[in-house]
Amino acid sequence: MKLNGDRLLGLFLFVLALAYGWGARQWPEPFGSHEAVGPDTFPVILAIAMAIASLALMLKPEPNNEWPTGTTLLEIGYAVIALFAYAMLMEPLGFIISTFFAVAFLAWRMGASPKPAAAIALGCGVGVFLLFNNLLDLPLPLGLLEIS
Amino acid sequence: METLGFLMDGFAVALTPTNLMYALIGAFVGTLIGALPGLGPANGVAILIPLAFSLALPVETALILLTSVYAGAMYGGRISSILLNIPGDEPAMMTCLDGYPMAQQGKAAEALAISAFASFMGGLLGTIGLIFLAPILARFALTFGPAEYFALFILAFATLGGITGKNTTKTIIAALIGLMISTVGMDIATGTQRYTFNQLKLFEGIDFILAIVGLFAISELLLFIEHRVKGPQKSIVVGKLNLTFKQLVALIPTTLRGGTLGFIAGVLPGAGASLGSFISYTLEKKAVSDDSQFGHGDARGVAAPEAGNNGASSGALVPMLTLGVPGSGTTAVLLAMLISLNITPGPLMFTQHADVVWGVIAALLIGNFLLLILNIPMIGIFVKLLSVPTHYLLPIVTMVAFVGIYSISHSAFDLKFMVVFGIAGYLLRKLDIPLVPIILGMLLGPEMEKNLSHAMVISDGNWMIFWQSPLAISIWSLAAAGLILPMIFGRRIRSKMQKANTTGEKLITD
Repeated sequence: MKLNGDRLLGLFLFVLALAYGWGARQWPEPFGSHEAVGPDTFPVILAIAMAIASLALMLKPEPNNEWPTGTTLLEIGYAVIALFAYAMLMEPLGFIISTFFAVAFLAWRMGASPKPAAAIALGCGVGVFLLFNNLLDLPLPLGLLEIS
Repeated sequence: METLGFLMDGFAVALTPTNLMYALIGAFVGTLIGALPGLGPANGVAILIPLAFSLALPVETALILLTSVYAGAMYGGRISSILLNIPGDEPAMMTCLDGYPMAQQGKAAEALAISAFASFMGGLLGTIGLIFLAPILARFALTFGPAEYFALFILAFATLGGITGKNTTKTIIAALIGLMISTVGMDIATGTQRYTFNQLKLFEGIDFILAIVGLFAISELLLFIEHRVKGPQKSIVVGKLNLTFKQLVALIPTTLRGGTLGFIAGVLPGAGASLGSFISYTLEKKAVSDDSQFGHGDARGVAAPEAGNNGASSGALVPMLTLGVPGSGTTAVLLAMLISLNITPGPLMFTQHADVVWGVIAALLIGNFLLLILNIPMIGIFVKLLSVPTHYLLPIVTMVAFVGIYSISHSAFDLKFMVVFGIAGYLLRKLDIPLVPIILGMLLGPEMEKNLSHAMVISDGNWMIFWQSPLAISIWSLAAAGLILPMIFGRRIRSKMQKANTTGEKLITD
């Protein structure tokens, strides 16, 4: 049987619904409360609805979309790594340096020539930094550039 | 005329120099967002929210900024439709039909001017409709109890896929994912920790602004990398404007028809701006005596759908403002803004925050004039910006998203979380799971749960309360219709829209 994206998603969501509903039943009953609606009522309703909907999806899946393979998949992987790196390096390296690397790298991988990509990335980093720090009064981290 | 009095107060708010400046900035940025292919209005408004938020703008100013962006995006969508035959956003699809042929005949400047005029008329008509309809609906909505509200939220989800919705199961799944995310965090009523896994970061729940930006902006970048859509490389020439006043006057009936139809489509749940411009175009074609030029560059074929989609965008604000239930992706994003500014939309907003509501409505009126003034002389600038290649545009948009999120919380954790949402958004879009119901679920989840428990307290634990009042029953039936009708008619309408337009590029949503 061929792998179908919808079936896989349905299976994942079904398991999620079970775990989600089970999780809701584990909470202790709130102290002194005998209300009809507890903290678990709404989640349990959602879990039941999701279980039904995910079963429906598994029973009637749509044909697969084309998924990226080979180099395209690799490119997406690079971009994801770049995004995570950008998120993590923004504070230690500072906004200008991290933005320069992130924008230049992404633009280059998306098909821009390296030199203009670097120039635009540098302009962006410095420009946005000045705009935020000096004009809008929203401080961005300077990072490595702080010492000098 | 108490409405008129409120409107005057609204103008007093909107005409302060600061607010006027933000309306102008919003209109300009909005037109730009609408014009650039690959940056839809929902996406554009989403990346601007964190900025409006961290600038600590007053509530009405922030809203004026974003509604101007919204109105501007509806104007901007037409520019690339006409010049490149690529709709800047989905509702602008119908404008390609006659706009592009006009441009090919060397009448690009005329097509742009006509569409700006039609957008203006449609927007004006829609805003006037909003002014009269919204207070009536708000008064009516005051009679809703928690049971009716609960049903109304269900209605919102049921109709969100729209009459053209492809797969009802997937819309429901998307809504449920959003609702599940909304339950993460401390329960407001009892203080129970739900799905927090003892992570301090999760106690307050998942910030929906972060989720919206990640789902929309980051996933767009990843999708682009996969498809490598080549940006417009050819240079575009816009000739001299050659349009008489008489020609514009002759188009007034067309714009009035289109604007009215669009407004109605916008107000109705599940129709939205795309259908608004589609209906306006097809009915205009039927209404005129000689339709032989339609599809070959008829000015009326440009005016009708543009008036329609701008009328619809104002119409879509009616349910969002009066009921707190948005009918489209972009209005859902606007709702996110309202909630994070601590304003609960709905009928009470019209009494408790009258200045905000009417300020925004007045700003929409002013915005329309600003947009008309902006769009005719400055069209050259927008055309130039259109030739910015996507491989620069999207990295820059991504960076703006990062800066925006960072400036709210100053937390690298939030940035990583946003990227995670982006990857999830990419996978979901590949699986044809619509993103807008997810957002709506995250936004409406807490309200839904609150109304559920209020209703149960009133009824003393009797679930029948949800089916007792006639009003609740009619809302439930509407919701059922919203789920069932697309299964019957959806395919037919979709294929008609596709036949009418073969070049339509699938973008996020209106």
